[in-house]
Amino acid sequence: MASTELPVGTADASTEVAAVHHVPLWRAYLPVIGAAVVLAVVPLVIRDSRYLLGIAVLGLAYAGYGVGFNIIFGNSNQLFLCLGALAGVGAYGTTILGNEAELPMLVAIPASVLVAALLGAAFSWVSVRRQLDVIFVGIITLTFSLMFLNLLLGQRELTGGETGTVVLYDAGIVGARGLGAYYVFLGVLVAYLALHRWLQRSHVGWAFRALRDDELAAELSGIDVARYKVLAGVIGSAMVGLIGALYANYEGFISPTTFELGNVDVPVLVLVAFGGIGTLLAPVVGSTVFTVVDEVLRPFSQLRITVYGVILLALFLGFRRGVIPTVNDLVRRLLGRG
Amino acid sequence: MAVVLDGIAYGLQLALLAVGLTMIYGLGGVLNLAHGQFAVVTGISAALLLDRGLGLPAALVIGVALAAVLALVTDATLMRAVYRLAGEARVLLSLLLTIGLAFVIDGLLIYNYPFTQLNVRVPGPAIPVLGVPMRRGSLAASALALLALVVLIAFLRYTRQGKAVRSIIEDEEGARLCGIDPSRLRTAVFALSGALAGLAAVAKAMTSSIGATEGTELTILALIVTVVGGLGSVAGALLAGLLLGIIYTLSQVYIGAYVTFIILLLAAMVTILIRPSGLLGHGA
Repeated sequence: MASTELPVGTADASTEVAAVHHVPLWRAYLPVIGAAVVLAVVPLVIRDSRYLLGIAVLGLAYAGYGVGFNIIFGNSNQLFLCLGALAGVGAYGTTILGNEAELPMLVAIPASVLVAALLGAAFSWVSVRRQLDVIFVGIITLTFSLMFLNLLLGQRELTGGETGTVVLYDAGIVGARGLGAYYVFLGVLVAYLALHRWLQRSHVGWAFRALRDDELAAELSGIDVARYKVLAGVIGSAMVGLIGALYANYEGFISPTTFELGNVDVPVLVLVAFGGIGTLLAPVVGSTVFTVVDEVLRPFSQLRITVYGVILLALFLGFRRGVIPTVNDLVRRLLGRG
Repeated sequence: MAVVLDGIAYGLQLALLAVGLTMIYGLGGVLNLAHGQFAVVTGISAALLLDRGLGLPAALVIGVALAAVLALVTDATLMRAVYRLAGEARVLLSLLLTIGLAFVIDGLLIYNYPFTQLNVRVPGPAIPVLGVPMRRGSLAASALALLALVVLIAFLRYTRQGKAVRSIIEDEEGARLCGIDPSRLRTAVFALSGALAGLAAVAKAMTSSIGATEGTELTILALIVTVVGGLGSVAGALLAGLLLGIIYTLSQVYIGAYVTFIILLLAAMVTILIRPSGLLGHGA
């Protein structure tokens, strides 16, 4: 509960919240629009390479996970190490409801996203109630991830075990492969970014800022810390769950590996930290860079993990603030407005 | 009865795996998520040395020593940045950095030695214990774990350095005021925790085998035992190891399959929620 500054750039996130309150509406949303425009022309650049388009869609999905994680961890200091599991809840929930119960996707997706959101709420609520430290929130959610993974492996009839399961249902929403799917994911990502910015500008943003800087002081000045933490947990988890559900429909096939800790939580943590934890565009910048890096490193198979390790070490040893705050500072200094 | 004995044997191994992790948390306020990878380093290096024709005892000793050296290097490099921070920030940075380290080690070992396994066979017929015939490998592993734990506890209880270690766990500032240098002891204990992880790898190799891909699983097991026992509590790690070992084997025999691991995780989760400081931890 002490007000120790976390080792990752949360101070910069506070600066960002403070900054967006003093600018006109259009300037506050300018980064969102900018990101949307830049990402919208990506398909024009990669032309009709199905392979590259698939990778671009994956990049958008990771950016989406990143926004969710950013809201939970970057805004309310809750280290959720169960992003993969929450996405898996969305994905497997939708698939099972679609395959077995034959519910239409428009029912199955919201239902499974709701489950993910409720799980997030439960984790937040329990950790606030029990006054768990960041580390214990991490351990509890990590434990949940492992339980979920084992459940997937065990419940073969429903999940297909480790071989995975085919999404039988012909989805109406992301049914479009290729370009259509790209723009669906882009639309979702832009909506996430807009929602994050809206939160930053509202009273919620101030509350987040206060509780991130000093939880006890926030509580004492009348902020309902529990409420805002649960809110962050719910919104972030729902975002992650929705991406998982959409991804299942888009891929048409899911397996436990898709939602493993090492395949979701770790990359998302790395890419958000790379961009600058808590800053609006961190997931977009981080995901773009890592999608490219991942593609370049693909031929190196297992050594890729080593390279990620090295990046992680370099990042947290020498570059803890992330790209965005550093670039912001640089620009400000160049313009002489430091 | 046989199940309980098996559980105790497994529990001793769990305790041995966890005790190093819990000590460096108690001492330095850091969490080492590359702990399991240290164990794997021992396993792989010993297996490679055996292939080169080295004798078993020498290979094992060198393997354990390598894990200790690796821990020492980690403390002297990565952990320097971590110790500059305090409290929650320190734990968090240590966690992030050691995840990175775990990735580096995992990637290198899985790439270079995907099929290398360390097996230490203890031949001979089963020996009856309390009327239950126990495999020699399992007994040897238990004896090794028990010996290491007893020596460790005796060290903490009766030697000057051991008392200094406990005083730092109790109150770092107070210890400093009494003229104890926490950073030197921290380095020593980090090396010790590496060696303990290495010993845990040897014990595992006596009952089953250890290979390059098992680092993360071992880290997670160590983490669960540590948290259930109470971060920083050596006796807690021993108790939690035994308890979880027995729960694990019981549910493996009577419930079976994948549910076993879920029950283990559930036990850990419930413990954290009921007693965040762990079974024998100091109050949060």
